[in-house]
Amino acid sequence: MAVFQAALVNEIEKLYKKKKALVAVILTLAIIVIGQLVIVGVRSGFGVRGVGSVEFSMLVLSVVINTILPLFTALIVIDSFSGEFAANSMRITLTRPVSRFKLFSAKLTAVAVFILTALMLLLIFSLLAGFLFNANSASLGDVARIVVAYLMSLLPLFVLALGIALAANILRSGISVFFLAVLGFIVFQGLGMFFTRYSGLLITTELSWYNLWLASTLPLGKIIREFLIMVGYAIILFTAGFYLFDKKEF
Amino acid sequence: MEKVIEITNLTKVYPNGRGIRDINLDIYRGDIFGFLGPNGAGKTTAMKVMTGLIRPGSGDVKIFGYSITAEYEQAMAEVGTIIEIAEYYPYLSAFDNLKQLARYYAKVDYKRIDEVLELTGMLKYKQEKPRKFSLGMKQRLGLAAAILSRPKVIILDEPLNGLDVEGMIDMRNLIKQLAEQDKTTFFISSHLIHDVELTCNRIGVVYDGRLLNVDSTQNILCNYATLENYFVSEVERNGRVPSCSR
Amino acid sequence: MKIQKKTAMLLSFALGTLLLAGTAIADISSQSGYGQLKDSLKLTAAKCSDSYNSFTMDFSTAVTDNGKTVTSSDSVQKYDRAKNAVESVNTSENNGQKSRFYSYMDASTTISQNPSDDIYYVNQYSEPTKRAFFTDPFKSSNSEDIEKIADAVVGGLKDYVVVKDNADGSKELSGTLTEVQIPPLVNAVASLQVKQLFSNPNQTTHITKDIYVKEIKGTALINKDGVLESILGTGILSGKDAQGQVHELTFELLGKLTGINSTAVTKPDLTGKKVVQQVISKPNSGPGISDPQKFVGTFKNDIVSQKDGEFVKAGERIIDITHMDGKTVAGSYHEEYAAGFAANQKPPQDFKFTATLNKGPNQDPQGAEFTVPGTNTKGNIHFDEALGQVYFNINGPSSQAFNSVFNKVFK
Repeated sequence: MAVFQAALVNEIEKLYKKKKALVAVILTLAIIVIGQLVIVGVRSGFGVRGVGSVEFSMLVLSVVINTILPLFTALIVIDSFSGEFAANSMRITLTRPVSRFKLFSAKLTAVAVFILTALMLLLIFSLLAGFLFNANSASLGDVARIVVAYLMSLLPLFVLALGIALAANILRSGISVFFLAVLGFIVFQGLGMFFTRYSGLLITTELSWYNLWLASTLPLGKIIREFLIMVGYAIILFTAGFYLFDKKEF
Repeated sequence: MEKVIEITNLTKVYPNGRGIRDINLDIYRGDIFGFLGPNGAGKTTAMKVMTGLIRPGSGDVKIFGYSITAEYEQAMAEVGTIIEIAEYYPYLSAFDNLKQLARYYAKVDYKRIDEVLELTGMLKYKQEKPRKFSLGMKQRLGLAAAILSRPKVIILDEPLNGLDVEGMIDMRNLIKQLAEQDKTTFFISSHLIHDVELTCNRIGVVYDGRLLNVDSTQNILCNYATLENYFVSEVERNGRVPSCSR
Repeated sequence: MKIQKKTAMLLSFALGTLLLAGTAIADISSQSGYGQLKDSLKLTAAKCSDSYNSFTMDFSTAVTDNGKTVTSSDSVQKYDRAKNAVESVNTSENNGQKSRFYSYMDASTTISQNPSDDIYYVNQYSEPTKRAFFTDPFKSSNSEDIEKIADAVVGGLKDYVVVKDNADGSKELSGTLTEVQIPPLVNAVASLQVKQLFSNPNQTTHITKDIYVKEIKGTALINKDGVLESILGTGILSGKDAQGQVHELTFELLGKLTGINSTAVTKPDLTGKKVVQQVISKPNSGPGISDPQKFVGTFKNDIVSQKDGEFVKAGERIIDITHMDGKTVAGSYHEEYAAGFAANQKPPQDFKFTATLNKGPNQDPQGAEFTVPGTNTKGNIHFDEALGQVYFNINGPSSQAFNSVFNKVFK
């Protein structure tokens, strides 16, 4: 466990020291500023309120969950795997007394930490912006729902990260992984639109599963099914990714 | 004598036919073992298998009795290594690079990091990022990383690559010092015969993926005028003449 | 150890696959509340159009502003397949003004009554025809596309519809969306729509800013046969008028299906009522000419030209109808020019024609088509019984600046 912890701290430190993750977080926060400006514009221009204080957070989430969060998650994962494969810096850690399983897990956990951090920053700042600039319409219950919605968004994003990690262990170049990820994302989004009956199986649809947690009467059956589907994906993708990572020669 | 590294029937053949075949070798405590062979003989492949970067095709490597394939963490607990060129995270300072590694060892603290930087003469570049370093500086930092955890075994692949004369002498002295003071065992690969002769006390000759012979430097120099003569005769005895002698 | 690792990987892969496949099958086969509602709607539409002998549909809407009714409407439609009859009563109230529109249709009659007067307009069909009884909207060609779009819009909100199964096999569907749950884009678009609706400053309710959708609610009742018996939707919007006064607008839509196989549609008794009656050959074809004989005679109009910046009469176009009955019409057309304008003449200006009055569906039963003798030029003629006029057209280039309205020449 101590070894895993060390590996995790290392991965997080690398994320933090690398400017990429920082830029990603700053860009994410810029979304809030832009979003708020748009809302203020819409409000004074069209007379439509746009959003109240808490809905602003949901608006932000609904936008970023399908755009920059998957994008930055992909970039971070690709950097963590393909980037280190290409720069040979994977060897630095691999020749230390840490098993590949722990290293693989630590890398993905660090990605999860990144996603969670981005989500939490978005939550805090969007709530702040919401309360400062939008008419107050919040109840404590609403805020709680929003916190849950943000937290729950970690799961599908993490499954997405696992999928990209698998791709990064199959394909040699980070750029091809990136294009595959983007292409896959668009194709899945399209499929979800046309085959609504099967859309629950697509990870791109599950990105919006936070909606289920907002319902006044929780659709428990659906929540459990979606959860199990995501867990199933996670186990398959993790195992397949690790199998390839373990076999890899450096 | 205590067996430190035990290589048994180690085989790893690449699809292009290159690689290593059926290597058996024991390294004992206090050895400064020289793994001598021309470029492409399979030295790096053997060392990558020994450090877990590559899975062996068959056979196994045990370090302090722990199998490198099954009990990797225990096997590598007392090992420091540089394979090919020492690698760094270019966006982390020299100190931070070592800090990353230090986390894997309970007994290594920041003081120890300064200590190894001092030993390798890199202390004054502590806060600089390695992307600006020369190859020699990188190799010194690599050595600092390899000895960071006070390992009982150090595996070095061509450690003199890129070093100037002064660097070579420093490196050799450091190896000898560690071997004498801490009884550190070394496994060093090199294609530089002269250097191996000066540094190592046991020598194994590897040629075309096979280990030809292992003997102590002392014995060899009793029977042959130079290590080079020994190398050539070993290769000839096994039915092959090197295209160019070194 | 090595074997153990491989086994562990295989096991976990198998576990993941099993978990995924099992849940996936469950997910695909399970029907969301939204899906059940959709299925029920389709079934209801199909049964209404194909199998139910009679039923009553009742749709009502209401818009209230802070509890005060702004507009409301109610439409009750009774269908009877055996009689091929539909009766509908539409009432509406707009800012306190009430109005009622009544209509009745069967194979041989349509009766309608306007809200403005008490007169019943009766169309009697000389050739009774079976009319389309109730058309299934899901069978129209673009319904699938609309369904896809609806699915996409509803998207992640599908599972907001909660289904409660009752002991008798019926189901209660309900769903609520509050501010947080309504997708912001939907909220903005809906708000903008409502703002347009209430943008007229003369309206009692005139909201200009801070408009947003506060809540959307819906309930539906599906009976044990899977038929949608009632559906109620409520939307609450909030906004402010120019004075900063908050208005809460409630939109309600209620649909009910009752009297399945027990609705009776009776033809209204019009004795003692003011009635205007028309005889038409069949539905959708407009009334025929009741007394064709009266069109026999001369009709003409003026050929107008310009000279020295003034309109001058250059001549006359004259039609002589020599024969007309309910089926055919015969006559001649010619132009007479005043002195000095003869050069303006363009053929054809003098010909005889015979034509058969239109009979086909969706054709003008008060019109006929003819061919100018000796040419391929077609023309048409239409008789306006109410105005005593004839509309006469000749296709082709000469029809430029051609006045096609001909007035009766009285002797």
